[in-house]
Amino acid sequence: MGDDNQANAKRAGGSDGVDGVDASDVAETEFDDAELLGQADWIIGGEQARKARQQGLYAAYLVFLGSLAYGFPLVQALFRTSNPEVLRQQLASPEALALLVAAIAAVFIAALWVGRFRGPVVPPLPWIDLVVTTPIDRALSVRRWWRFALSAGVFLGAITGLVLGGGLAFTGVTSPVSVAVGLVGGAAVAVAAAHLWLWSQVRSWPGPNRGPKLIWHVPEALRELHVDGLRAHSANTSTLAGSAMTGNLRTARLQLARPVRFARGVRLRAGRPFPTMVRRDILGLLRSPASLAAGFGLVVLGGAVVVWAATQGSAPGIGVTIGLVPLYLGFGAWSEGLRLQADNVGTPSLIGSGPLAEASAHLVVPLAFTTVVLVAGVVVSALATPVSALSLLSLLAVLAVLCGGHLLAAFRGSAPVRGGPQGMIAWYLMPVLFVLLVGSLMTFFVKAALWSWLGFAGWLTIGFVWWGFYQTRRLTHMHRA
Amino acid sequence: MGVVTVLTGEVRADGVSKAIDSTTLLLPTDVSADPGECVVLRGQNGSGKTTLLRIIGGLLAPSAGTATIGGREADERDRAVRAAVAGLLGAPTTYRDLTLIDHLVLIDSTWGGEPSTSDDRGTALLERLGIASLDDRFPHELSSGQEQLFRLAITFARPSSVLLLDEPEQRLDTSKRQIVGALIRERTSAGSTVVMACHDPEMTAALGDQVVDIKPAR
Repeated sequence: MGDDNQANAKRAGGSDGVDGVDASDVAETEFDDAELLGQADWIIGGEQARKARQQGLYAAYLVFLGSLAYGFPLVQALFRTSNPEVLRQQLASPEALALLVAAIAAVFIAALWVGRFRGPVVPPLPWIDLVVTTPIDRALSVRRWWRFALSAGVFLGAITGLVLGGGLAFTGVTSPVSVAVGLVGGAAVAVAAAHLWLWSQVRSWPGPNRGPKLIWHVPEALRELHVDGLRAHSANTSTLAGSAMTGNLRTARLQLARPVRFARGVRLRAGRPFPTMVRRDILGLLRSPASLAAGFGLVVLGGAVVVWAATQGSAPGIGVTIGLVPLYLGFGAWSEGLRLQADNVGTPSLIGSGPLAEASAHLVVPLAFTTVVLVAGVVVSALATPVSALSLLSLLAVLAVLCGGHLLAAFRGSAPVRGGPQGMIAWYLMPVLFVLLVGSLMTFFVKAALWSWLGFAGWLTIGFVWWGFYQTRRLTHMHRA
Repeated sequence: MGVVTVLTGEVRADGVSKAIDSTTLLLPTDVSADPGECVVLRGQNGSGKTTLLRIIGGLLAPSAGTATIGGREADERDRAVRAAVAGLLGAPTTYRDLTLIDHLVLIDSTWGGEPSTSDDRGTALLERLGIASLDDRFPHELSSGQEQLFRLAITFARPSSVLLLDEPEQRLDTSKRQIVGALIRERTSAGSTVVMACHDPEMTAALGDQVVDIKPAR
């Protein structure tokens, strides 16, 4: 390789010289970037690199098959539970359009946010140190990671659009054109999101050329990626993956969190223990405006869907289950106090209150904020159609289940040492799956007019919250074994 | 709210040891300290000083022997034990969104401190430790020595009859070690029992009413 480069070395001549320097004194070297990259690939990856790429394609094939096998039936089941005529009217309403715009905006904001610490271009660290640092055009040396991220994003976006559009078409809610619209629309949103993701990665490292024109000029954007920034993003990826695989959620959280610097002049006001801890959480959110805003966006999005599904007779009941996902995540964005309490398990007491009182105090802020959003949603819904007392009861159950779910999530304890990847995934998903299941039951029974089952759903909700507090107490003392 | 028994600072560890599977972390050891006394645990790295402190604090159950605080089994699940024991055993998890003074106010409030003077107490403690000028910083904005002083501050901020400290001199310069030594002496003078692991001969000589040498398991 070195011999080839030496052979390509030549003296520049004529007008090719650099300003102010005698052209005959400037040496230039030609690099065959493609050939150098090919050699580096072979030396670093060998035959295994080719096999790894094939495995990636196989994984995409499995996702595609899984979407066809499970996605279509699930979406069809969602729309079949509702009145097609009413649903068609609601989907064409300004509110539905606003929700669609909000969802797409949320995808774009998420891409920008994630790109700050984990962009689409994350080569392995040896590649960064041994190849990216060479004079090979950076737009070429890191291009494959961009293309991989873009392809994966387009694939997922198209599949999502296809499944949604197909589900709507096959259940007769919309015309078959929605299949093509969903496919193209999903892919287009994914392309835009991927470009914003890359732009955010470029902007995560200081530099003079970080303007919005880089969003659509990919080679320039790739050349603007700083090697230290690439190292940081690659290291973040390793840390996040390691934290995820070992169940060390605190490390992952701190890696994601931006250092707090806001409102340092605002003091925590002393008082009785419980209100002081509540004020602590309010102050914490004031100093973490990103968490406050993310929580607000997710709770408004999820709350709108949940309220719509719970209070509107024509809405599909499964809407509560779908809306609970962003609602759960938004509630979680406001529950940092609860997680910090769980982080302190196993250390001598600093806080004078017992674990249950402390956990209850940390639930006050997310619960109050979420309640305000849901009440606002109910008021808007009541302007359209009367809201029944039973639908209000199901929303109350949703609030209780969110509290129980976040207690379980914060105090879920250590990751399982047995069970393999499936066990780890189940450990991660356990709280949210219980939230989706228990939180949807009350609405389901109300919509199905199964009155005799309402008591069961109520007791199940109470039991779920009790389980959360039980876990709080158990984990707080379990370490003494 | 509930009734919590106030325990005196009598610390007793009779033949406590700790083993996990075939690994011995701590050989059978006795510690006896009365209110107002300071016991220094001395021993080479890995001899089990931290394990002994965790057993005395009720954070770890001994494999053999008994540990008591004020005549009661040292068990952190017991509210009375939690109320009696303050400890700096490793790095406490701090709130990344609270400043130094906020931490002290929060701790003071949750232990029933008078709200109108809570800020003054917090500021005074930071001043004693020489970090009052950093009161509006967040924990991630401190150097390692400042961080150690802050950890000591939040440990001293809560009331206790037993104070457990694992190498409080870590990362501190000589003058700061003297300040910490003075704070510990004030605690014992006020009737608290202090049990601390320490590698500093001068602090050990100045503070230790008793010195317990911990023999390494191997």
